[in-house]
Amino acid sequence: MPQPIPEIAYPSPRLILMRRTQAHTGFLIGAAVLLVISATALLAPVLAPFDPYHQDLSRRMLGPVWHESGSWKHPLGTDNLGRDYLSRLIYGARISLLIGSAAMLISGLIGTTIGVAAGYFGGRVDMVVGFLITARLSMPVVLVALAVVALIGGSLNVIIWVLGLLIWDRFAVVMRASTQQLREIDYVNAAKAIGCSTLRILGSEILPNVLNNLIVVATLEIAHAILLEAALSFLGMGVQPPLPSWGLMVAEGKEFMLFSPWVIVIPGTALSLMVLAINLIGDGIRDITAPEGRA
Amino acid sequence: MLAYSVKRLLLAALVAVTVSFMSFMLLKLTGDPAAALAGESATEAQIAFVREQYGLDKPLLVQYVNWIARALQGDFGESPYFKQPVSAIITGRLGVTLTLGGCALVFAILLAIPMGVLAAVRPNSWIDRLALTISVLGQAMPSFFFGLALIIVFGVMLRVLPISGSDTWRHFILPSIALGYYATPAFMRLTRSGMIEVLASDYIRTARAKGLRTGSVLFKHALRNAIIPVVSLAAVQFGFMLGGSLIIETVFAINGVGFLGYQSIARSDLPMVQAIVLMVSMFYVVLTFCADLLNAFLDPRIRVH
Amino acid sequence: MAPWIQRSLSAVLVVLVVAAIVATPAMAGKKNDTLTFTWSKELETLDRYYNTAREGMIVSRHICDDLLYRDPVAMAYKPLLAKSYQWIDPKTLEFELRQGITFHNGEPFDADDVVFTINYVTNPDNKVLVQQNVDWMERAEKKGPFTVRIHLKKEFPAALEYLSGNVPIYPNEYYAKEGPKGFGLKPVGTGPYKVVEVEQSKRIVFKKNETYFKESPKGQPSIGTIVQRTIPEMTSQIAELMTGGVDWIYMVPPDQFENLAKVPGITAVSGEDMRIAFLQMDAAKRCGETPFAKLEVRRAVNHAIDRAAIAKNLVGGASRVIDTACFPTQFGCDQNVMKYDYNPAKARELLAKAGYPEGFETDIYGYRDRTYLEAIVGYLREVGIKANLKFMQYSALRDKTYADQTPFFKMTWGSYGMNDMSAITGHYFKFEKVDFVRDAQVRDWLIEGDTSVDPAVRKAAYAKALKRIAEQAYWTPLFSYVANYAFTQDLDFTPHVDAVPRFFLAKWK
Repeated sequence: MPQPIPEIAYPSPRLILMRRTQAHTGFLIGAAVLLVISATALLAPVLAPFDPYHQDLSRRMLGPVWHESGSWKHPLGTDNLGRDYLSRLIYGARISLLIGSAAMLISGLIGTTIGVAAGYFGGRVDMVVGFLITARLSMPVVLVALAVVALIGGSLNVIIWVLGLLIWDRFAVVMRASTQQLREIDYVNAAKAIGCSTLRILGSEILPNVLNNLIVVATLEIAHAILLEAALSFLGMGVQPPLPSWGLMVAEGKEFMLFSPWVIVIPGTALSLMVLAINLIGDGIRDITAPEGRA
Repeated sequence: MLAYSVKRLLLAALVAVTVSFMSFMLLKLTGDPAAALAGESATEAQIAFVREQYGLDKPLLVQYVNWIARALQGDFGESPYFKQPVSAIITGRLGVTLTLGGCALVFAILLAIPMGVLAAVRPNSWIDRLALTISVLGQAMPSFFFGLALIIVFGVMLRVLPISGSDTWRHFILPSIALGYYATPAFMRLTRSGMIEVLASDYIRTARAKGLRTGSVLFKHALRNAIIPVVSLAAVQFGFMLGGSLIIETVFAINGVGFLGYQSIARSDLPMVQAIVLMVSMFYVVLTFCADLLNAFLDPRIRVH
Repeated sequence: MAPWIQRSLSAVLVVLVVAAIVATPAMAGKKNDTLTFTWSKELETLDRYYNTAREGMIVSRHICDDLLYRDPVAMAYKPLLAKSYQWIDPKTLEFELRQGITFHNGEPFDADDVVFTINYVTNPDNKVLVQQNVDWMERAEKKGPFTVRIHLKKEFPAALEYLSGNVPIYPNEYYAKEGPKGFGLKPVGTGPYKVVEVEQSKRIVFKKNETYFKESPKGQPSIGTIVQRTIPEMTSQIAELMTGGVDWIYMVPPDQFENLAKVPGITAVSGEDMRIAFLQMDAAKRCGETPFAKLEVRRAVNHAIDRAAIAKNLVGGASRVIDTACFPTQFGCDQNVMKYDYNPAKARELLAKAGYPEGFETDIYGYRDRTYLEAIVGYLREVGIKANLKFMQYSALRDKTYADQTPFFKMTWGSYGMNDMSAITGHYFKFEKVDFVRDAQVRDWLIEGDTSVDPAVRKAAYAKALKRIAEQAYWTPLFSYVANYAFTQDLDFTPHVDAVPRFFLAKWK
């Protein structure tokens, strides 16, 4: 924590946040990495040197530039169908970010709604929600997701919905706890006393005050969804080829990993890096907004 | 304590019923289960016979009750792929998965508790940072990628460990590390925060003031108290591991329940998938129930709520 | 750092390191006369008649004997369980059986076993999965304690081929007691190896049959113990071979094959395989109205895929482009048919003519070799056909196919190693469940070829059928597979063209 500078006696809250942010190395690194990945994903058509779908069987399994069989034409080499690996990696970032954010939005909506309801109303509502959370936690996510995807067929939309419907538990748990703390606080009681409607209290008093926690959980859940998508794709029941998903790239490269390890190391590292960055941001936001909360 | 236990038991039972209903509905998702059970070349009459035999012409709720009644007796029907009882095949593979889960848990605890204690004793030291790095990486690296990396390094480059199968205890080393690693961050954080809390408490300070050696204080007094929540976390994590072992079993070609589940999904062996989903869920329900009771037993404050 | 923590940490480390290094793996191999081989399939049953997999055939040929045996090199038929055989008339075969042979469980072998087996598998109520191997037989009849007649439904020139490797003889008393379920877990035969241990879909342990009959044309088994391990991933199989965990693997992909050939201590051998890959299209409208009912669309698919590039770059080795609905060396497989070159422009033109100027979207199903499927999807994409890959296990795909849910799918067929065209076309074009063509004209020509005993008549009829199949583009025949084997250099193993390993012929060097 930086020492307050003596000249400014009362730093504004915004300034405090700024300072904390600037001093938080983890957050800065995470933000920088994610910024680069997001920019790459957005600018994929400009940045990618080749069409990620174009196959050329006569130029397959070329090594990356640092390998003896590599060249600058394909900086990360080509895959087993002769597609440019760098281009597929760049387009793959889009898929991961899209699935992560979309699944997070769905699960966030579900989890926040029932979590806030449980925390605010308590009693029976709280019991039902507690029960729902326990039931959800007891179902093995990967197994259930695999089974559902296998039964209704895998596609981008299906993956997003299946993940969104499965991973709302952390939202619900955190929102319930945060709302419970707020419920008995004076200004909420005051709002109740002056006859504000429940919806209004939830919208203008509760939500803004749990927003920090919500953002933290949201970032962590993006990372969670990305990892699950990668696992499903790795098992062949996620995104379907020829879409370039990083998990799928690891799965396709697995066959070659003994003699050409880079084919799994490149997408695997990219995946780890992206999830790491998102987690660092999530942890960073938590530390910055509530420094006393670090366990 | 009794009232608390009964309440928890009721909740667990309710969850069990809900989850079993959902795995029951899984088979319904695919269309006519009678046709699926009768086999691909069955005639209309044979399908009708199966429908009656299995009570598939009855209302959904009756069917569910019948199914669960049979399931409670260990009868999950016959696998259309193996043409053998589902329960026999699953029991044949359960041992491997439980062994893997157990080994992974032991690995996670052996790694996490010393690290957690050290991190608490020396906050912001290199060991605290190492602990943080391990847990941050553990959350970021996909388990299948970590598993494959272990195979390349220890199995192929160094050639010191077997990389597939489950024939000897050595076969379990790499998959246990790959599976257990993902549980370490949770254990480490819990141990660390528990230790920090306990170390700051009055009786530890008293013990130190009395001149007890640091090691003895840490081990006999502080850790013993800090470890209470770790025990119940272990139960919950074990439940998660049984579900998560699917990926690790696939990567390491271990013929356990998780891999069986994955293969069964791929070959549309639905009675098998149903039984496995139900079984893994039930394990979790039972384990969390035990963890809750254990927590309440060890920490009387919980019972009051 | 507190000393006790230091101690326990280092203890943990030491235990892990010691565990990793000191203990040596249980080595397979020459030293303990145990050959460990592997495949990726989880075999559902060891009863040959209830699985369609090549692995099932491998097991069957080691533990069971057929009436006849085809020498894999000379290709001649030799009596195996039979002592001699003769055609009584074009629809009746008589066998004189060998005496003094016993099954692994001690049950003596005689005419009753043959009659029981054949009458069991030809009975439609028993729902044998490999129908095409047995449905040409009417029934068997006992003529004496060691004399049997097989009555054919109609004239069937390929009868000897089928009887030498695809109709294993089971012990009647044991099979009647155990049924397919019991037998599938603990099979008993007269063959050169007996099964001593089965961990279902994981491990099979074979022991040499010490009392295998001396006159057998299969020869005497040499290696004492053979262990089969199921390892689903090819990568794991290769790593196990490199680290000595297994001694023999097959179906090695070409890239890894080339790399393995350079590894010291490993012999890598490539052989041709009769198995061919092809795309089936729903010309018969079994799945309702789909684009594949149109001839132009089927021809467009044929033009869209660069089969030569796949054969050369992905399959490698001896793989060749296939233009017919059969493997070129098979009897009757006339190569003089309409051929489709790789021509994406023409494919797009044909699609436009069929009313799909922008292409169309479809599902494509497949069960093995994901890479090949992805390459096919890639080629189709270039001409505007957006094919969504549905990849599943064979049994699941088979069920979907039987249920009319697969308008477009990639299949492979190995003809059970039979060098006669009827082994493939008989399965796919004679209105059976896998026939998505249902062309009565083609069927009738095939029946003519299947049932005539005059080779010239057969050839002419088959040629007509193949011509029509190609001209109508009912299939997109793709390429032939190669059989890549890699094994320890201690092993003396010879691959054969049917790609069925014969470990009873293998020995240690």
